[in-house]
Amino acid sequence: MMRRIKLAGLIAALLVILLPSFTLAQDVNFGVAPAEVHIDSLPPGEAAEFELTIHNKEELAHNFTIATFQPPEEEMRERMTEFPDDSWVSFSSQEIEVAANSQANVTVRVVIPQEQKWAGEDWEIWLGVAAESRDLLAVRLDVRLLVSTNPVAEGKSNAGLVAGIVVGIVLLGCGSYYYFRRKTRLE
Amino acid sequence: MKAAVTSIGVAIILALIFSLPALAQDSGTITITMTGVNEISISLDKTQWPLGAVAADTEQTTSPPIEWCTLTVEGNCNVKTRILGEDARWYKDGVAQNYYWTLSNTNESDISDSVRGHKYMLWFRVRGDNPPDGRGYVLITKEPSEFWPPPSGGSSLAPGDTKQFGLKLLTPTYFVGGRQMQTKITISAVTA
Repeated sequence: MMRRIKLAGLIAALLVILLPSFTLAQDVNFGVAPAEVHIDSLPPGEAAEFELTIHNKEELAHNFTIATFQPPEEEMRERMTEFPDDSWVSFSSQEIEVAANSQANVTVRVVIPQEQKWAGEDWEIWLGVAAESRDLLAVRLDVRLLVSTNPVAEGKSNAGLVAGIVVGIVLLGCGSYYYFRRKTRLE
Repeated sequence: MKAAVTSIGVAIILALIFSLPALAQDSGTITITMTGVNEISISLDKTQWPLGAVAADTEQTTSPPIEWCTLTVEGNCNVKTRILGEDARWYKDGVAQNYYWTLSNTNESDISDSVRGHKYMLWFRVRGDNPPDGRGYVLITKEPSEFWPPPSGGSSLAPGDTKQFGLKLLTPTYFVGGRQMQTKITISAVTA
């Protein structure tokens, strides 16, 4: 068996392969702003939006892709922890074409589910922007997104409050009815 | 009857008076802070390394070996940079095919040829980062690792800073010949 492997290796060694050879532009240069975004006091159940600007500094139009990345623990800002779910961060477009020497905006939306367990947290996630290319070397620019949630979960759809109002109306109605009926009898 | 109608009316009015402010209450102020007008940006003056035909189990080095490509910090914030590689894939007429060279995640050049097989290896070397104090050639793996500053310490890169570097590749000990293989090395940057 070993003899066969060695023979295969010897034969393959006599063959050759090609690595890509392109003739297009040979550099990469783009920027992303802002470099870091802090969202503070975001209540679970609420959403926040902001814009990323991609600046293509080259003489050619480029397609850019945007995706989330979990940062390595040692690279996170102090007190920050891993973002629980990438799907809470969405983009108006995950791929965008930017003309030469131009810029374009991508809207980023962060939605935290309305659960008490997500209150009072500090999370970090990176938004990576990369130019699509089949060249050997590629650049990805990571925007730090730091999200702090409110210590107490709040929300606009409050079923408890609505139920309380209904009960209040019923109780007040009964009370008022007896009050007015008694008043009418006394008169 | 009159008492009932009046009662219900009073109840509804009172309930609305107390509940409307609560219903209208906003959930608090959400603050979004964009750190100044900071733009993160790095550039590379070279992105291609056309090797042409290569033989099995041979080392290929960029020319010049260490000053081959220049990374420049173009934005207005300090950055940390990392590097990662991936498996090389066969492309036929521009279409990806199901044949790979696996990027070695460990320094296996000392392992016997029959074990290394279709694995290939990539290294980078930054100018000035020389042994014994520096790193010399550093293995590029599929897990991101520090490009600059090195893990042993050093300053992050400031706007206008440049770093020159080169690459080295060791082809597999055996592979299917006559195929155009492509791979990608990604250098990422994040605010320091």
